[in-house]
Amino acid sequence: MKKRGVLVLGTVVAACLLLFTVQTRGHVTAAADALALVTTPIQSALARVNRAALTVWSTYQDWKDVRGANRRLRAENQQLRVESLQVSETSTENQRLRHLLALQERLPLATVSAEVIAREWGGWVRSLTVNRGRGDNVMRLTAVIAPAGLIGRVMEVRRGASIIQVLTDPASTVGAHVVRTRTAGIVEGEPRGTMRLKYMARGGGGIQVGDLIVTSGAGGMFPRGIPIGRVRAIDDRGSALFHYATLIPVVDFARVDEVLLLTGDTRRDIASAFPSDG
Amino acid sequence: MRALLVLTVFGGGLAQATLAPALRIADVAPDIPLIMVVLLALRRGPEFGCVAGFAAGLLQDVAAGGLIGVQALTKALVGFGIGAAGGRLRATQPLVQVPGLIILTIAEALVRFALLQLFRFPAPFGELMTYVVLPQALYNGFLGAALVFALAWSDALKERAS
Repeated sequence: MKKRGVLVLGTVVAACLLLFTVQTRGHVTAAADALALVTTPIQSALARVNRAALTVWSTYQDWKDVRGANRRLRAENQQLRVESLQVSETSTENQRLRHLLALQERLPLATVSAEVIAREWGGWVRSLTVNRGRGDNVMRLTAVIAPAGLIGRVMEVRRGASIIQVLTDPASTVGAHVVRTRTAGIVEGEPRGTMRLKYMARGGGGIQVGDLIVTSGAGGMFPRGIPIGRVRAIDDRGSALFHYATLIPVVDFARVDEVLLLTGDTRRDIASAFPSDG
Repeated sequence: MRALLVLTVFGGGLAQATLAPALRIADVAPDIPLIMVVLLALRRGPEFGCVAGFAAGLLQDVAAGGLIGVQALTKALVGFGIGAAGGRLRATQPLVQVPGLIILTIAEALVRFALLQLFRFPAPFGELMTYVVLPQALYNGFLGAALVFALAWSDALKERAS
């Protein structure tokens, strides 16, 4: 029994080491593809179930307020509320999709719309999985946006799904500048789920709380002018080389359900496609 | 045995991808597969814990889009270790469950961080421990204890019915 246990552990450790070796030699896609064949359809189905469950939960919260009513009236009330919530949910979804479509039409770039089917929110990795992948003209490092602003970039493309690294991921960095002062810097994700602007400027660069930060377009990965966030606080480090500003993202990454993937030429300024107030 | 393994892997892994974001408290989500692996390793022993940990971790690695195999290895080690030590632990006691899961979560995170350092993971250790690992460890401890309590209650109901 003990020997068998050690054999199982040895096999598992060997399998993991083999996986690391395969990936460090650049053969990650084949392994990930094979596993994604199983996981992607199940993730899609469970994302729908999850949304339905959340709708039921919010309905329950509303019901708690009308408990004092008599049984017959409460039953009628529940029925009406369920129907009303369904209509309201449809209407909200309709509104969201209209915003996304309007943005898609305004953008002078080729885009692909996608639905979020899973979220990884553990802190080590902050990513979204969307239902567009290889075959939809999606490539690695494709920029991903929502009507309010930038979400991140595609890190992995699989058959029928892509994984997006969100701006708050600890490994995420984006070239950016402050709209008002043109101070350039880098927006970095932090493990606590926030993000900050790291910039180099004498005397703090004149940045103020509330300033809008947008992509700089440097490097060509992200088009210039996509809103990223607003300055929440400034960490003035006196004579230090780098200063930091904590940002509030313009997009609520935890609630975004539909996104646009910028599949065309990204070397353009698309600031005019977004609301001027960020 | 096989059905339980499939339940651990898919139930835990997919609950993590879909339910965990909804269970967030102050942006801290529990590691549901880790809790399931620990609970099942305590009941089924080191081999089951090791295989279940490997499979659940692998699914998390694939879903998260990171380096595949890191969580598979750390969770397999946790499953094996807790399965092997299971007989000597009084795992039905909440005073063991909560700190036990907290310590296991931190241990798993330390091994994971050490492994990721080999591949140049950029996040600073101090911030990661303060804002991710320790809050998640606390959450895992209390959620795991609640699940143990629920399982014990379910077992008692079954016994009474039979």
